[in-house]
Amino acid sequence: MFLTRSEYDRGVNTFSPEGRLFQVEYAIEAIKEGSTAIGIRTSEGVVLAVEKRLTSPLLEPSSVEKIMIIDHHMGCANSGLSADARILIDHARVVTQHHTFTYNEPMTTDSCAQAVCDLALRFGEDGREEDAMSRPFGVALLIAGVDEKGPALYHTDPSGTYVRWEAKAIGAGSEGAQTALQDAYSKMMTLEEAETLALKTLKQVMEEKLNSTNVEIAAVTAKDRKFRIYSSEELNQCIERL
Amino acid sequence: MMDFGTPVLEPGSANGTKQVPQFNPYQDNGGTVASIAGDDYVIVAADTRFTLGYSIPTRKISRVLKINDKVMLGTAGMQADTCALHKVISTRMRMYEHDNNKRMTFNAVSQMLSTVLYYKRFFPYYTFNIVAGLDDKGEGWVCGYDAIGSFEQRKIVCNGAGTKLMQPVFDNQVDWAQSWDGAGKPNLSLEQATDLMKDAFTSAAEREITVGDTLQIYKITKDGIQLEEFELKKD
Amino acid sequence: MFGGQDSKQHTVQPYVTGTSVIGLKCADGVVLGADTLVSYGSLAKNRKTSRLMTVSNHCSLGFSGEYSDFQEIKSTLEELMISEYCMADNIPMQPRAIHQYLARVMYEARNKQDPLYNQLVIGGVLPATGEGYLGLVDLLGTNYESEMIATGYGTYIALPLLRKAYRPDITVAEGRKVIEDCLRVLYYRDARSIDTVQISTVTKEGAETTEPFKLETSWDFKKFKAGSRLIDESTW
Repeated sequence: MFLTRSEYDRGVNTFSPEGRLFQVEYAIEAIKEGSTAIGIRTSEGVVLAVEKRLTSPLLEPSSVEKIMIIDHHMGCANSGLSADARILIDHARVVTQHHTFTYNEPMTTDSCAQAVCDLALRFGEDGREEDAMSRPFGVALLIAGVDEKGPALYHTDPSGTYVRWEAKAIGAGSEGAQTALQDAYSKMMTLEEAETLALKTLKQVMEEKLNSTNVEIAAVTAKDRKFRIYSSEELNQCIERL
Repeated sequence: MMDFGTPVLEPGSANGTKQVPQFNPYQDNGGTVASIAGDDYVIVAADTRFTLGYSIPTRKISRVLKINDKVMLGTAGMQADTCALHKVISTRMRMYEHDNNKRMTFNAVSQMLSTVLYYKRFFPYYTFNIVAGLDDKGEGWVCGYDAIGSFEQRKIVCNGAGTKLMQPVFDNQVDWAQSWDGAGKPNLSLEQATDLMKDAFTSAAEREITVGDTLQIYKITKDGIQLEEFELKKD
Repeated sequence: MFGGQDSKQHTVQPYVTGTSVIGLKCADGVVLGADTLVSYGSLAKNRKTSRLMTVSNHCSLGFSGEYSDFQEIKSTLEELMISEYCMADNIPMQPRAIHQYLARVMYEARNKQDPLYNQLVIGGVLPATGEGYLGLVDLLGTNYESEMIATGYGTYIALPLLRKAYRPDITVAEGRKVIEDCLRVLYYRDARSIDTVQISTVTKEGAETTEPFKLETSWDFKKFKAGSRLIDESTW
């Protein structure tokens, strides 16, 4: 690897002669080590489902936060370095609150994804000590939100790219999961069908047996425009439908 | 003619009696802005007279800023601050459009103006504003502001020099404030509102010397914005 | 005077001042006029100081108020015109742009509580159409365009005369006469004025400021003569 990539993977903002930024590519690789997360958009809302890796039976499952709320109407799932995710989500929370403060309206999902990616791209820049970032964020997000244009699902990656998806899988099992989603996804899906599809797909790619402690599910609905992480009872009901 | 400012007591002087002229960064250039909102329209009116003390250096300045085809801003008070504020609002509006890929709604503009004004709480813009526009459902609304950003959304607002003369007329003719239960409250048409606006300004111009010259009436409907000019007293 | 000992010293009142500047927009350009006196209080400090400057081929500027502050503005404007020259893009800077630039400079200064104590009158032509442009900026950043502009005592004395003389089709040649008449009337009544004046005309052909010249004045009105009025004889 170091033979072919030579010295061009040292500086975060140094292009290789082929025009690649290796540090960014490595950061994207880091996500493929992360736990699987799935997002599905329907006309009724967006569902997010994640796998929680519980490495020890002594670990408290509720302390592993893979889905987090951004604003009332928006939330996200992450895969990769969770610590990096917290920085991005904290930024997203600040910009959405600032938007509401200034404009008395909720921020759109698109604008929030853009604001997150503006930060994601700020690595390797000169800056004051406290806000200088030495490396790209090693995390991908699935941002789910509802605005006046309806439900939307965005995927962001360490390169600062953000793209809208109907259904998207990230993390270790993303390849298999994405294929499964592509086969099963339909624009006509209900939110309930999306919940089932998300869990079913997770089940296929997870190494451990899926249960109510090693997965987490959340949704934002078009009807009440609220993002909510499901309780264990609701999660159990979803699992029973499988 | 040159403004020497108001002499103030110098705080540090021995007996506090030493008079020192101080630069006064504020000036009142008159002007009145008013707006009447209906079910499917809103009109914004402003006179064009620019005053400086008892002089009228020019009879034709604009006090109104078009934000987009659904929202307008009208400003009375100091002309230099008005000009600066309108520039700030214009650039903020354009940045919003770039960041959010959409037009600013009436609601967003009204909140933004409040924050813009409050950010200069301790060196305020000497301006008195109204923001008028159609909401998402196409209904007309108007917000009235003080110089530091307090605001209220209503159906009728006037602000600036002629307020004292015009507001009671609007309270009576639009809000139907004399009726305890609002029975018989009229629902003004665009034409009726325009006529009432002309009468209100004509009357204000009779007694308030800073009101006069030309009245600009912008009519905002679902079809866009139309300007009507109406001549007022020129003396 | 100046602020307290601890504070930074800011101009709070003008010392060496010029009186009115007047301007008239014409169909084919614009005319500016001003006398050449700068006063120090009631002292006529310098009687042959130009209060008009040619900014560019398309723009002239006149000032009233503090002379030193105007010199500051003049040098910033000259710098601006040098960078404009260096652009060499064949896009001449519009008078409107110069007007707005000055408005921002003056407004920023007032925001710092350190105003440039002037009223500036900007006269120019729009290079494309040859239409006149006339605008004002003052020490607070107040700025507007108008067909006729006067500062200082000119607001009271010259502005009504300019409004009366104005027609949308008035030519620069006619406007020049009107401006000269206004300066004469100002000289009769403004105690801080002088009969040496300059006139600047801006047309498509360019901006031109005359050398200072003397106004023709007449003092032989009947009522001007000693003893012609009741109050000329003391009743004490």
